[in-house]
Amino acid sequence: MSIDHTKCDITGMVERHIMIAVDSSDNSRRAVLFVGDFFGCYEGFQVTLLHIILEPEATFFPDKDEQKKWLSSKLEEAKKVMEEYRHILLDAGFPQDRVNVRIDTMRAPSVADCIIKEQEEMKCCTIVIGRRGISKKEEFIFGSTSNKIIHEAKKCAVLVIE
Amino acid sequence: METQAPDDVETHYSFRQLQDMIAAYLGSDSVPQRFKIITDTSDFFRVDYNDVVMLGGVPYLMRNYTREGRFGLDDEPKYWVRKAIDLKNREAKIIKLVFHEEIEARVGDLVFKCVRSPGKEAAILEMVAGHRNFMQGIAIRDTAGNIVRILDFIQGKRFDELIFKLAGNHEEFFYEHLPGYLAIYGEMVKAIGFLHDQGQKHGDIRRDHILLDRKTGDYRWIDFDYDYYHVANMFGYDLYGLGNILVFLVGGGDITVQQLQAEGSPHLEKLTQEDMNIIFNNRVANIQKIYPYIPDALNYILLHFSNGANLYYENIRQLLEDLDEVHINA
Repeated sequence: MSIDHTKCDITGMVERHIMIAVDSSDNSRRAVLFVGDFFGCYEGFQVTLLHIILEPEATFFPDKDEQKKWLSSKLEEAKKVMEEYRHILLDAGFPQDRVNVRIDTMRAPSVADCIIKEQEEMKCCTIVIGRRGISKKEEFIFGSTSNKIIHEAKKCAVLVIE
Repeated sequence: METQAPDDVETHYSFRQLQDMIAAYLGSDSVPQRFKIITDTSDFFRVDYNDVVMLGGVPYLMRNYTREGRFGLDDEPKYWVRKAIDLKNREAKIIKLVFHEEIEARVGDLVFKCVRSPGKEAAILEMVAGHRNFMQGIAIRDTAGNIVRILDFIQGKRFDELIFKLAGNHEEFFYEHLPGYLAIYGEMVKAIGFLHDQGQKHGDIRRDHILLDRKTGDYRWIDFDYDYYHVANMFGYDLYGLGNILVFLVGGGDITVQQLQAEGSPHLEKLTQEDMNIIFNNRVANIQKIYPYIPDALNYILLHFSNGANLYYENIRQLLEDLDEVHINA
């Protein structure tokens, strides 16, 4: 009997699909490097690099031009960094067709909600995220994306990279 | 956000007609001989005392600008926030003109960027129309498209002033007044939950942003034009503000290390860093150590805002559930 290594039976997810939730920070880069180092030499993994841009309400900006400018600069920054992350994974040994890049613009109370929603839709069996290393005060006031994912993600593994 | 379009009633008044309307309100002796009739409020410094601003066909007589005190600092003039008189129905109003300000907000040693958003405040005004726990008003675009907010003037005291007045003897305050004020606090927390449920945040929750409306007896949140960019939790800053108000309320004012030192308080030696407010390290959050009659259920909530906390409220529902557990028995 052969074992299909592309299946993740425990989680009920369709295949070994890893989501790396990133932004343009150093901790995200560390998360990508970790996945490259750890899984790059194995076959059967699919990786999605997910970058969520939380778009503020239109009322956040003085006018529509400012809003457009804000969004296009965020998109440009995201595209640039995603290309760099993609290359890290390809260099680590992931085949080109197994690395997906996704940039989503959303409105939501938190990035973590968006990441979890995407994980459920894409049926990824693992979420990898870098930890920002924020202070207790910052976490108290602004919350922590990695902590929220640890607490709220279901039916998947969560790897938090320091 | 939908701002009210100018209606089809008469939108043009002659200088003489406006003078008559002013006379009907101020008396004929006090009618200004010279004033500007303004339809574009972009330059709010141009809007002077006694000028008439036309908004949605209604003439508003401008009075003084308002000031905002901030805990021991001198009152800051807010030139874009004006007292005014609706000359059609002779009601007192507050008119907030557009001021796109980017502010570096400081919370303890944390600094983050905030903006003043007239559009956000206008959207919330529409959302809370008729809600007893929010200031009421409408938003109208002037001829240049500025979103001007016309607010009902609230006559009444600030929440913190009311508490200060009552809290001379804490034990008496605690048993006689706190149960009632905790109920009011719960009502105000629910009101913030109402905003959050609809994807909005207050943005500047402070104890002096609750007013007791003397006319209706309702407590109302005011000033919701602050906005900031959130990533991990949109509601965290609001919850932080609500926590500060609760700690203030239960303590009958802020209890600071300096104050305890000045009083030679025996409680000082019992306090540790963990008992202090997570942001303002000189304020006591573990108030039970000062006033032992604070019930555990209430102190448990306060501890969420202390240095020793290892979990925080993430949403209003969690805070309300814990508030429901609080019972004060005389």
